[in-house]
Amino acid sequence: MGRKSSKLKVFFLISILPVVIALIIKVNQFLSDRTPIQGIFIFNNMSVVIYLQFLILLLALFYGTSVCSEEVEGKTLTYLTTRPVSKSALLVGKYAAYTSLAIIMTSIGVILSFLILNLDDLLNFSLYKTLLRDVVVLSLGLMCYTAFFTFIGTIMKKSILFGLIFSFGWENVIQYFPGSTQRFAIVHYLKSLLPVPKTGRFSFLMVRLEPSSPLFAVFMIFLITGVFLGLACILFSWKEYIFED
Amino acid sequence: MKSVIETEHLSKWYGNVLGLSDVSLQIEPGITGILGPNGAGKSTFLKLISGQIKPNIGTSAIKGERIWNNYRLFSNIGFCPEQDAFYEDLTGWQFMTGLLRLFHFSPSERESRAREALEIVELMEDKDRIIKSYSRGMRQRLKVAQAIAHDPEIIILDEPLNGLDPLGRRKIIRLIKTYKSEGRTIIVSSHVLPEIEAMTKRIILIHQGKIFAQGDIHYIRDLIEAHPHIVSVKCSDPRQLASKFIQEDFVLNVNFSSAEDTLLVETNNRDKFFSLLPPLIVKHNIEVEEITSPDDNLQAVFDYLVGK
Repeated sequence: MGRKSSKLKVFFLISILPVVIALIIKVNQFLSDRTPIQGIFIFNNMSVVIYLQFLILLLALFYGTSVCSEEVEGKTLTYLTTRPVSKSALLVGKYAAYTSLAIIMTSIGVILSFLILNLDDLLNFSLYKTLLRDVVVLSLGLMCYTAFFTFIGTIMKKSILFGLIFSFGWENVIQYFPGSTQRFAIVHYLKSLLPVPKTGRFSFLMVRLEPSSPLFAVFMIFLITGVFLGLACILFSWKEYIFED
Repeated sequence: MKSVIETEHLSKWYGNVLGLSDVSLQIEPGITGILGPNGAGKSTFLKLISGQIKPNIGTSAIKGERIWNNYRLFSNIGFCPEQDAFYEDLTGWQFMTGLLRLFHFSPSERESRAREALEIVELMEDKDRIIKSYSRGMRQRLKVAQAIAHDPEIIILDEPLNGLDPLGRRKIIRLIKTYKSEGRTIIVSSHVLPEIEAMTKRIILIHQGKIFAQGDIHYIRDLIEAHPHIVSVKCSDPRQLASKFIQEDFVLNVNFSSAEDTLLVETNNRDKFFSLLPPLIVKHNIEVEEITSPDDNLQAVFDYLVGK
């Protein structure tokens, strides 16, 4: 069952925010006398700083934790669990729906930002590889984070608080740890799929990255997704949810 | 008759709070009324037999199959929850067809079943309005509709008449009785005694998580023989009839209605009373218009059982 809540509108507006930033940057470039920074360079940094480290975390956190908690808090879980469908199927179905929605919302923002920032170079088709790569990496990120937060939502009541600490604490700190410690952050595997910028204003965000191989990174992303989604299914199937009066 | 639902020593706690204690019973096809005050454990019992929660102790089964985490059972179970909770931004139609989708019906069958259920509860005209805009009665009827749309054999209704107007109540009661005549198993809970009484004589009285009594209302009456029982006899000569009854040791008290055409006899032995009444009527040529038992209702039994 779907929910046409105001939450959807809010998240759509948030996902469109980078487009507004891209527009401001582009307008500023047109009005400024200074030599403009390459659009693709700004886009790459925007992908990492705004989308990868902020937006997809936020979307995955709210949609992932909602998979279970909104049914429990809204007391609508009864309607779903009195149908001849396994609880695992219900959970995976909602996870898939929310992940797809988040991917579509993010992709729209990413594509629009790309087009705006590269307005004067739209016929350079080699740039579209970058766009495709970023959309795929962000989609993998959404898939993985949403699975993790779906799991958190099935076991915790205050899952949002934990999720915020994890997203903007753990993920943003551990990824800069040297050695193999950074492999305990999901973002490590996502960044391993992106090229490491050698120069630039935001390069300090990538310098400490000791990337895993792309194949291993993709494997780990799918493994983490599978493990947390599996755990969420087991928990959701066996845990009883008692509604608060 | 073979029982459809069986529970054995079913018990449930919410932390330190007792929800249900040691409930063993068998429910057969027909209407079974679960009666008790708010917080008695009715909803806990219904949640246990509908697989919403798992028991701490004991077992519950439908047609011999365990209920908890057995989703296959639900193709034959309809459950109307007590809580007034919905996907508020959906329309009634979207709500119905969305839930029917989970039964793997084809799109055309989903639509025909949704239409049929909404017509039964008279919500077809309002099907395209969002649920948020529904009145309390409409929301209640929508809950009933989602419980019956897939044509289940077993229908579990937790306080289904809450929030309905008298006409709506009558219609739902009639619907429940129709399902009974089709041989289905219907379990209805309520804390309002006349509601249950209007639907069935087969009741389970629950109080403080325990079953106080179960069976036919008359069977329960027999269980509490010591409890005085009032019989009202509207007749041509109530004073003469009273003079005969007052001599009997099983008659505790006699009284007259304000119109003085009705005798009210308080007895502690119903059987003896009713065996003596016909010969007296015949012997003294008394014309009897009506014999009723004003306290032969669930309120009287319930009040007595809970010690009020």
